[in-house]
Order: sequence, then C-alpha cells, then structure tokens
Amino acid sequence: APAVKMAALSGSGAPWRRGWLPALQLIRRGSKAVTRHWKAMHFQRQKLMAVTEYLAPWPAIPPSCLAPRKEAAEEDNGYVRLLRRQVEEVFRDNRMIAVCQYNSMPDEDVVLMRYYLRKHNIEVKFVLNEIVRPVLSQSKYKNLLPLFVARNILLVSPETKAKEMLRVLKGVPQVNLLGACIDDTILSRQGVENFAKLPSLEASQGQMVGALALLPSQTSSLLQRGSMHLTALLDQHIRQLQAGETGSPAEPTPAQSSGAH
Amino acid sequence: KKMAAKISVVLRPVKSIVVRFCPFESNVESTRKFLVCINHKKIQATNRNCEVTADVRHDGSEPLVDVMFADGERLIMKGANLTTTEMLTALGSRCSAKELKEEQKSKKKSR
Repeated sequence: APAVKMAALSGSGAPWRRGWLPALQLIRRGSKAVTRHWKAMHFQRQKLMAVTEYLAPWPAIPPSCLAPRKEAAEEDNGYVRLLRRQVEEVFRDNRMIAVCQYNSMPDEDVVLMRYYLRKHNIEVKFVLNEIVRPVLSQSKYKNLLPLFVARNILLVSPETKAKEMLRVLKGVPQVNLLGACIDDTILSRQGVENFAKLPSLEASQGQMVGALALLPSQTSSLLQRGSMHLTALLDQHIRQLQAGETGSPAEPTPAQSSGAH
Repeated sequence: KKMAAKISVVLRPVKSIVVRFCPFESNVESTRKFLVCINHKKIQATNRNCEVTADVRHDGSEPLVDVMFADGERLIMKGANLTTTEMLTALGSRCSAKELKEEQKSKKKSR
C-alpha cells in the first residue's frame, strides 16, 4: 500500500495530477510486479511486445539457389583414435577373428557365453561399425567390409579352435556367425564349419609325411625285391638240404650261402 | 532406427520365423536390422514359443524372411528392396488382423 501511494503521488510520465489515488482494493490481495509464478502482462505491454517483435531480414538470394555449404568433417576424436588403434591391434595380434551378428540377449547369457569362450582363450569384443569400417577399408581386409552392418561382435583368439567356438555358439541362438578370418583367410560360415571338421595340425602333418614317404618306400622295396627274392630262395634251399642230409654237417652249406652274398 | 524400435508386433499367431541372408552381399542391411528388431525383448515376450532362426548362407541368394503362422498361412518377404520399417509394419498388420479374427472366434464360441 505505501508503494502504491508513492507511485501515484510521484506520477509516472503522465500529466501530474495531485492526489490521484487508485482504488486501493485493486492491489490489496493481488500479486506484486515481480512474482515467482507466471503473471500475464498488462495489455498495453502486450501490445508493445507484439509490435516490437524481432523479424529476421530476408536473405537477398534464396538459400536454395546458393551452392550447398560443405560442412567441415568432424574432428578426429581422441577416443575414436584410441578405438581405431585397438581394432588395428586386434587384427594384427590374433590368428582367428570371427564376425557374428548380435541380437539382444539377456545379460546373464552374455556373461555365460563370455565365460565359456574365455575357457578356450577366445575373447569377445563389442565393436562399432563406424570405427571398424575405415580401419578395414585401409587394411587388406576389404572383403570383410560388407559384413559390418547392424550390431556385430568380434570373437578373437590367438588359437584357431573353431570346433569349440561353434559348439558354444550353437548353445546361444541369438548370436549368428557370419564369417571369419582365420590366418588371413576369409571364410564364410560354411568354410568355418569345414575348417572345424578338419583333423588337427599334427594329425594332418603326420598324414602328409606318410603320403610323401610312401613313394620312396615303394621304390626302395621295388629295388630290393630282386635280392630279397634270391635270399629267400637260398634260405629255402638250405633248409631243404638240411632236412635232406640229417646226419651230414651243416657247416659247408652256410659258408657257401654266405659266400654267395 | 527409432521407428523400427517403436513398432510393436504381437507374435502370438506366429509359429516360426526363418530369416535367410548372405552377409557378403550388399543388400542385406534391412533384413539384418529386421532380425535385430525381432529379437528385441518386448517382441519376444509376446510369444515365447515362436522360434526365430537365422540362416546364414554364402550362395549369393537374396535375403528372405519366411514367417509361418499358427493357422498354416505363410508370409514370404524378400528383403532386397524393402526397408526394415516396411517389413515390420507388414508383419505387424497381419499379426493384428489375425489376433482380431481369433478374438472374434473365441467370442462366438463363448456365446
């Protein structure tokens, strides 16, 4: 109330009228000028605000006629660089890299799968396509590029245990094996299954050695066949003679046969 | 991406879904995203008996989605030139139509 009297007596720009007092009931239980809630502006103020609204100036040439503005490429984030380096390391260090499609799985299943794969020294890595794609396009793995669409995970391992990996993945229906890169050879799903069916390296090496050694052994047996046949015949002859001459000494005949060699 | 997550599909009338694609081809993106969306928790929760199988081949065949419904009907969607949202909406509309039919049938039986 005293503030209102002060305002009325001082007179705000309007022709000064002595003793003009508004009806005090107006302001008695109304709110003050500065309130915590939103208060509607006085009508005159509303009109003033509407008239003095900001209107942006029209561009002289419509923007569609101008050449499109080339937005500067985003700066290479340090985090992005770190992730790219990690991916490059992964590709360099591991012999077997399998790419799988990841459909959302309950978290416990993810943990279980990671555990079973860790037992075979296979690590599970979640990758982002936008990081992997530029790394791949610059390296020699260009044919793996079309694989990296939608959510993927990488199963990497320094050993090539394809059988165990397939067994674990069979128990997890939501992860689909798309392809793999084993020892710098890109394999499809079928290729991985065939690879898993192959015998182990030692067994196949043994098979190879056996196959290679077969021919020389055949030649050696062929060469020795003549002399072996002769010795067998002579032995049989000796036995016949020994059987025939039961009483006579057997010494001269072994001497003869040893002389014949 | 956001549209595909918001489309809700009731899988109750569906018996099985087979998604076949060849990942080394270039037109499989929408089919793969369809597979990801179908395996989402909410959609899987509508029908636990529905088996979703992913058939990964390397013979250059086009991406295919084969849906077997419980009443013997079959829906085949060739995803080479379809987007994920189109496939999801098509499947969703068919599922909801079948749901309505079944509800009507059950109402008639109960009467």
